[in-house]
Amino acid sequence: MLGYILRRLVSVAFTFIAVSLIIFLMMHAVPGGPFDANDMPVSEAVRAKLMAQLGLDQPLYVQYLKYMWGVLHFDFGVPYQSPGESVLQLLSRAWVPSLVLGGLGVLIGAPLGILLGMAAALNRNSWIDYLASAVATIGLTIPVFVTSMLLILVFAVWLKWLPASGWPNPERWILPIIAYAAIPVATYARYTRSAMLDTMSRPFVTVLRAKGLSERRIVFQHVLRNSAIPLVTVFLPMFIGTATGSIFVEAMFRVPGLGAYFVSSIETRDYPLEMALMLMITFMYCIAYLLSDIVYALINPRIRVGGAE
Amino acid sequence: MTDTIATPIIEPAPPRQRSPLWFAWQRFLSNKAAVAGGIVMSILILMAVFAPLITPVPPEAQLFLTQSLAFPSAEHWFGVDNLGRDFYTRIVYGARVSLSIGFIAAGFSVLIGIPLGALAGYFGGRTDWVIMRIIELFSVVPPLLAAMLLGTLLRGGYMSIVAIAALFGWVQVCLLVRAQVKAFREKEFVRAAQALGASPWYIIRRHLIPNSISPIIVGFVLAIPLAMMLEASLSFLGIGVPPPTATWGQMINEGINFMFYYWHLAVFPTAALAITVLATSLFGDGLRDALDPTLKGR
Repeated sequence: MLGYILRRLVSVAFTFIAVSLIIFLMMHAVPGGPFDANDMPVSEAVRAKLMAQLGLDQPLYVQYLKYMWGVLHFDFGVPYQSPGESVLQLLSRAWVPSLVLGGLGVLIGAPLGILLGMAAALNRNSWIDYLASAVATIGLTIPVFVTSMLLILVFAVWLKWLPASGWPNPERWILPIIAYAAIPVATYARYTRSAMLDTMSRPFVTVLRAKGLSERRIVFQHVLRNSAIPLVTVFLPMFIGTATGSIFVEAMFRVPGLGAYFVSSIETRDYPLEMALMLMITFMYCIAYLLSDIVYALINPRIRVGGAE
Repeated sequence: MTDTIATPIIEPAPPRQRSPLWFAWQRFLSNKAAVAGGIVMSILILMAVFAPLITPVPPEAQLFLTQSLAFPSAEHWFGVDNLGRDFYTRIVYGARVSLSIGFIAAGFSVLIGIPLGALAGYFGGRTDWVIMRIIELFSVVPPLLAAMLLGTLLRGGYMSIVAIAALFGWVQVCLLVRAQVKAFREKEFVRAAQALGASPWYIIRRHLIPNSISPIIVGFVLAIPLAMMLEASLSFLGIGVPPPTATWGQMINEGINFMFYYWHLAVFPTAALAITVLATSLFGDGLRDALDPTLKGR
C-alpha cells in the first residue's frame, strides 16, 4: 500500500510540474504583455525599468525557475493589478466568499444527491426515479450560468422572493448556494442510482435475501458499502465542475470572490496572480486526484495488487 | 416450453437476419426522451440552416433603433435588443454559431481521437503509456481554465473556439476507441490477418476501426454538447466569438444588465441555450445506450 501511494505521489508530482510548465509557457506565449503601449502609455525608459524591476527582461526559463523557487517558499509574487499587497494576501481576502458559498453548495448538494439517487434506485420507475433522472440530466448538461440565470429570473425577477446578488448577508447566499449545489446533486444522484442498481443485481444480494435478511439490512449494510466505490471516483470530476463553476456563479451573482480574478488576471496579463491561481487549482486537482486514488485503493482491495494500472 | 408442444403446427420464424443496427434503432426508439431530443435537435438544425429564410431582417442590422428594448410583440416576436436589432433574428442566428461549433469541433475530436485511440489500443506497451499520460495531463487541467488561457492566446474568434473544443473533446473518443480496439485485438479474425502478413496499419484501418464504429458515433455525439457548452461559456466571459456575431452566451451576459426591466433580453437566450444543450445531450445519451447497452449509465 505504501509503495502504491509513493508511486502515485511521484506520478502526480510529475504531472504537476508538467502542467505548471505548460501554463507558464502558454501565459507568456500570448502576444503582448502587461505594459503594452495602449494599456500603459509610459516612455520607453520607464517601461524598460519596470520590466527589469519585475524580472520580465530575463529569459523565460530563469523567470520560470525563479517563480517556482518562490512558490516552494510560499512566495507567489506581487499582483500587478494591486501592487500594495502580495498575491497570497489578495487570495486570502478573495478566498472567503468562494469557499463559503462553494463549500456549502457541495456540503448540501452531495448528501442530497446521494439520498436522491438511493431513493431512485430503491423505487425504480416511480416518480422519484424520474425526478432523479431529470435533475441529473439538467444539472450535468446545462451550463452553470444558465441555471443561475434561470434561478435569478424565477426567484428574484418574477417571484421577488430573494435578492439577485449573492454577498455579504446570509439571505443573499441562498440562490448562489443552490446554483453551486446543482452539479454535486446531479453527479451524485446519477452515479448513486446506477451504482446501487448495479450492486443490487449482483448474485450476493439474492443470497442475502434467501438467507432471510431484512431488506433494510441488505441495503444499509451490504449494498451501500459496495456501491461506495464508484462514488469515490466521481468526486474528482464533481470537484472540477464546482471549482470552475465558481467563475460563472460569481459573475452571475456579483460575488466578490476568486472567480472574478481568473478572468481579470488573464485579461490584464497579471502574470504572478494568473500563475498563482492556475497553480493553486492544479494543485487542488492533483490532491483530489491522489486522494480519490488512495481512497479507491483502500476500499477496494482488488485493485491494490495491480498497482498503478 | 409447454406452449410449443401444445401448438400442433410450429411456424418456423422467417429466416431473417436482423442487423445489430436494427436492434440499436429499436432500442433508440423505445427511449422517449432521446427521440424527443432528436426531434428538437433536428428542428434546431433546420432553423440554423434556413435562418435567412425564416427571419425578417439580417441579424446585425440596427433597423429598429427607435424601438430599442421594445417588448415582444406581433412584429418582433422576441422583442428588440438595446442596439435596435430584432431579437428573434439574433436568437435564430445564435443557433448557427452554437450548432456549427458543436458539430465541427466534434468532427475534429473524432479525427484526433480515432488514430490515437487505435494506436494505444493496438500496440499497447510504451505507445499506450505515452498516450495515457497525455490523457492524464488533460484530466488534471480544468478544461475551462485552460480554454480561457488558450482563448486569449489565439485571440478569440470562431476557429480558435473550435480548436479549443477539439483539443479537449478528443480524450473521450480516444478512450472509447482504445477500449474497443483492445477488446478486438485478440479476436480470431485479427490473429488470422496477422498470420497472413497484414501490416498493423492495414489491420487497424480495415478491421479495427470499422469495428469501433459505434463507440466512434457515441464519442462524436457526446462531444457536441460539450463543445457547445464551451463556446457558450467563453462567449459569456467575453473571450469567445466576438460581437457583433450573435451568440447565446454573449447575449446572456448582456441580459444580466437588463433582466429586471427588460426580461426578454435574459429569458430568450437562456431558454434557447438550455433547450439546445439538453436536447443534444438527451439524443447523445439515447444513442449511446442504444448502440452499446453495456455502457448504460456511465
